[in-house]
Amino acid sequence: MCASLQSLRQGGGVTFSGAGSYIVRAMKATRRPARKRLARGTDEGVSGRAARGAGERVLVEAAQRDPAEFEALYELHFERVYAFVASRVRDRATAEDVTSEVFHKGLAGLPSYEWRGVPFVAWLLRIAANAIVDHAKRAAREFPAPDDLPEQALPLDLQASEMRAIEYRAQLFRLVGQLPQVQKQVVYERFVEQRSITEIAQRLGKTPGAVKQLQLRAVQNLRAQMEGGHG
Amino acid sequence: MVKRSLALQLDEVVQAMLVSLQPRPEKSPDRELAALMRVGQVLRELPREEFRVALKNNLQRRASMSESTATSKVATGETEAREVHYLRPGLTSITPYVIVRPAAQFIEFLKSAFAGVERMRMPAPDGSVMHAEVAVGNGAIEVSDGNEEYPTAPGAIHLYVDDPDATYARTLQGGATSFYAPTDDHPSGDRWGAVKDLFGNHWYIAKPRGWTPGPEGLRSVQPYLHLREAHKMIPFLEAAFGAEAMGVHKSPQGTVAHATIRIGNATLEIDEAHGEFQPMPCHLHVYVPDTDAAYARALQAGATSIEAPRNAPYGDRAAGVKDAFGNSWFIATYLGR
Repeated sequence: MCASLQSLRQGGGVTFSGAGSYIVRAMKATRRPARKRLARGTDEGVSGRAARGAGERVLVEAAQRDPAEFEALYELHFERVYAFVASRVRDRATAEDVTSEVFHKGLAGLPSYEWRGVPFVAWLLRIAANAIVDHAKRAAREFPAPDDLPEQALPLDLQASEMRAIEYRAQLFRLVGQLPQVQKQVVYERFVEQRSITEIAQRLGKTPGAVKQLQLRAVQNLRAQMEGGHG
Repeated sequence: MVKRSLALQLDEVVQAMLVSLQPRPEKSPDRELAALMRVGQVLRELPREEFRVALKNNLQRRASMSESTATSKVATGETEAREVHYLRPGLTSITPYVIVRPAAQFIEFLKSAFAGVERMRMPAPDGSVMHAEVAVGNGAIEVSDGNEEYPTAPGAIHLYVDDPDATYARTLQGGATSFYAPTDDHPSGDRWGAVKDLFGNHWYIAKPRGWTPGPEGLRSVQPYLHLREAHKMIPFLEAAFGAEAMGVHKSPQGTVAHATIRIGNATLEIDEAHGEFQPMPCHLHVYVPDTDAAYARALQAGATSIEAPRNAPYGDRAAGVKDAFGNSWFIATYLGR
């Protein structure tokens, strides 16, 4: 069995169903006329999620009229999609391939997307779930063993807890961009490039001890903001 | 001082996390350290900034293009997102480097049989081909007459083409001899034929059947290595190049009947040598994000050095190693931007 399929399975697959699912609840939350709410603003007791849905609808419709407007949706959801994909595939290259595929398909499929109150991100994550399965199938395409392959693309219906985990990671990814420059650089070199402390110290012209301090401060900063930002 | 020691402790667990293949749940008695590590574990999956920007640019380019150019452009944009930073433009992560004589004649064969397009040719002082690059489909084949240091080394190459029957026929016109004509009965399920050209190279000419290539498109050119104890190649490639073994199919005896191995954005295939398909130690050109690191890892994994990393005059960080099977790997990182 190929590695990608294994990781897919270890992750429990991508089927999450149940009455308490995020999507079902989100649909209920946004069933009332969303656009009118946006026009009146969010200080009328409208839930944050519904407001986001409404704002998003405007963005989606703009992008349907002019594909160049897709950029706003990309900016809004890149981290979420990447966080979702990265947690389900084995390596960075695959995460990048699949994320890239999701947004290209999202852009290409936008004209056929119909707003039914389902958050746009759920649509993207559904594409992502299918893309991950496709990727695993392609990986196993030579001499596939039938029991390794899901029969068809799995439905995606995320539990609220799963969605919270994606939000948490996406938020953390975004906060890295707001770190002081040198802390940010240490984070990328250490966690993304996976360079050694010694190497980073040489590149930054600092002592290894100073780099470790920067690493600590960066991680502490991120932790504080994650805890402070959301109760 | 307390803070300083926390910095050291954090780095120890970060280091342990980065070197282990699977994220290890740290059973730290220190609650603060544990909380920091939860952040650290998410950071490990932090997307590359370059990727985020490259994908955005590709999407913008795609959005601004007319709708009629749809699918093929998706494939191009797709791969560019990852290719930007270390691949030489025009080459994928793996390119076969075929040393045969006379190389000029071989280039003509690539043109006539596979609609190859000669992109570059550097003659040696004696008029032979020192180095040439021929695009075939969406991949490329590098060609040279070689010299004493690099003697001729034909190889086996798996080509994906639109019309395997016509391509097969053209190889025969170009002097190739047939192993077998394209058939639908190949174990891969693809339509698949096989020939040997006048220079000793094997060509496996195929078209996908029953599966759809991914959005990154189909790689036209895939080196195919027949090996003795082929299973030992997989850990070597994983260790040296961060390769990913995809769809490893083993025979009942435990030998590798077929495996596809991905490095970066390209794939190669291996199997256990059998019948007419015996080992043909060959040369391969691989682009990696960090030549020095890949070179060091390759040596650790049992390769011997051909050439230590150096900045090559054509703008690559380049090195060379020979694996335990006798194949040469020219490792490179594109430095020009």
